[in-house]
Amino acid sequence: MRNGFLFFLGLFGSALLAWAGIVLGSHAQLGDLRPHVDETEGKAFPLRHSGISQQGQLVYDDLGCATCHTQQVRRPGFGSDKERGWGDHQSVARDYIFEMRVQLGESRLGPDLANLGARKAPYDAEDLYNLLYTGAGAMPAYKFLFEERAIADRQPSDHALRLTGNLAPAAGTEIVPTPRARALVAYLLSLNHTYEYPEARPVEPAKEGEHK
Amino acid sequence: MASASPEVSEVDSSARGTINFLLLSALLWLVASGVLALLHFVQTLSPAFLADCPAFTYGRMRGHVETAFIYGWIGNAGFAIALWILGRLGGSPLRSLNWAIVGTLFWNLGVLLGLVGIALGDGTATPFLRVPEYVQLLLLVSSGAIAVPGILAWTGRNRARTFAAQWYAVAALFLFPWVFSVAQLMLVHFPVRGVLQAIAAGWFAQSVWTLWIAPLALAAAYYLVPKITGRIIPNYDFSSLGFWTLLVVGGWTGGRHLIGGPVPVWVATIAIVACATLVFHYIVVALNLRRVFSARGSTALRFVAFGVAAYLVGGLADAVTSLRGVAKLLQFTWMTQAHTQLALSGAFTLIAFGAIYFLVPRIANQPWPSTALIRAHFAASLIGTLGLVAGLAVAGFAQGGALADASVSFADIAAKTRPWLLLATAGQAVLLLGNTALLFHFVRLLATKPAATAAPLFREPAAMEASAT
Repeated sequence: MRNGFLFFLGLFGSALLAWAGIVLGSHAQLGDLRPHVDETEGKAFPLRHSGISQQGQLVYDDLGCATCHTQQVRRPGFGSDKERGWGDHQSVARDYIFEMRVQLGESRLGPDLANLGARKAPYDAEDLYNLLYTGAGAMPAYKFLFEERAIADRQPSDHALRLTGNLAPAAGTEIVPTPRARALVAYLLSLNHTYEYPEARPVEPAKEGEHK
Repeated sequence: MASASPEVSEVDSSARGTINFLLLSALLWLVASGVLALLHFVQTLSPAFLADCPAFTYGRMRGHVETAFIYGWIGNAGFAIALWILGRLGGSPLRSLNWAIVGTLFWNLGVLLGLVGIALGDGTATPFLRVPEYVQLLLLVSSGAIAVPGILAWTGRNRARTFAAQWYAVAALFLFPWVFSVAQLMLVHFPVRGVLQAIAAGWFAQSVWTLWIAPLALAAAYYLVPKITGRIIPNYDFSSLGFWTLLVVGGWTGGRHLIGGPVPVWVATIAIVACATLVFHYIVVALNLRRVFSARGSTALRFVAFGVAAYLVGGLADAVTSLRGVAKLLQFTWMTQAHTQLALSGAFTLIAFGAIYFLVPRIANQPWPSTALIRAHFAASLIGTLGLVAGLAVAGFAQGGALADASVSFADIAAKTRPWLLLATAGQAVLLLGNTALLFHFVRLLATKPAATAAPLFREPAAMEASAT
């Protein structure tokens, strides 16, 4: 290592090689991935996020929701993702092409959310507001996403939470989600990876004696 | 690596101000991140804790802990150790230290602003890069400024021959700005499209470890082990192979945590192969540094020994847990945290403690005031790290097994992992206690008047540790 210049070149090159290989390599493969046009449905998938749900993604990002929740369904048989009802087929790169900040997540202290918006009840907006306000099990409550305000002589808000028991607000007041909470819930309800792209279909190994 | 120059020379004394500044900031951040980590564990165990405080939501707290630890502690301590090693092996006093002092000032300002930014919700969700956009550039520029004396000491060295410790130190100083700037461009300023963000983020997180933190730790280990034992490094010819294996292969482990994810399969496959290839690097490190395990009598060296052991165990564990069948179970569990803590709180931190106990008396020309405090810190570091890593690892196994069974609810998983997370919390608390003792000890040493007669203490390798035993 007497030649200093060669040493620096080596350092630079070794970092460059891995970066080019992984990041540029996958960029070459996926960088121009287009939406899939489904002619039967007359739509292109994935659907774009609405404005409010894009704002919600920023809330999701800055509160650090990805610390406990993933947004990636693994293929059936690889983990229990399908059995847990998180999705029938695996998430693929095309699901994420319109995401401003991809939130694949790093740990599953809570359920995967990739298909939250596609799940049937009990996940409608009201339940999500209640969940965020009260918390559940290992999930903390996010009370600062709501405001308690006096109803006074006004008509109660349409968005006010219907809470009962000891969580119910004092008489004459109501608990209303802030704009941030509304954006977050709009985002969560827009999460939907149910559309099955050709590349997401599991490849069944051909059985013996069977011709495809 | 012996030379005719006296053990303590102008190389040490001239760098005193800069290195003390870096180390004091490092230790303050270490204690701060310990407090934050403890609060974060309390949040894990009782989610209602601090839940009404938006600045400390569970997710943001993760950002606080990680930023204070990596950029606060590892950054400052790693820079201090790298500069000191490059100065000593370069053979002449460090030049342009003003750059490093100004750089350190702004680096710490950046870390502080980063924490404030995360509290305000400006942080990103990218692991290891959670500081807000407006702080990233500041950190980048100041890391470059801190590196200046180190790079000058390398290019202006007065020996033709170079040592493994120097290669690792220069690599860390040079590659951090490289990796950090590219990650900023691809993730924050001009974010790439879709899952490419996840791939770039994975590449960044793995590169921060393999191209910055691990080389910093290895620079210290490769310097201290022969220096303290007074014996040459066995199989030294292999050390350059080990070095280049880490650098060339390290970045390819980027898809390590994307196995089974919505990315091209080859990204994960290459990461698995890279993790297995790195075993060669770990074998070389084990061969080169094996004498650290049989050395006796030096507390500094005992820290290094356990740090190297953590490094080797972590590397082998990485090769095993990256295999698809294992990753299927342990992905997304506490095991990831266990592995991170083994690398950061174990390998890097323990080796850095060894370096601090060795270098501080030499640059301050002053022995450590208390032997008991050093022993207490060693015991606390060992017990704390073991508790933390073992607790998280067992919690990871329990969580992984339960997640694989769709009939187990998340409430049950939380109940199953709870005892092990309590163990990890206790480990974290013991670590905090020990690290506070080190901070206190360091401040006490700085506050004592330098004794003019301390230098002969360091002349003989055996007596060098008189300050630490």
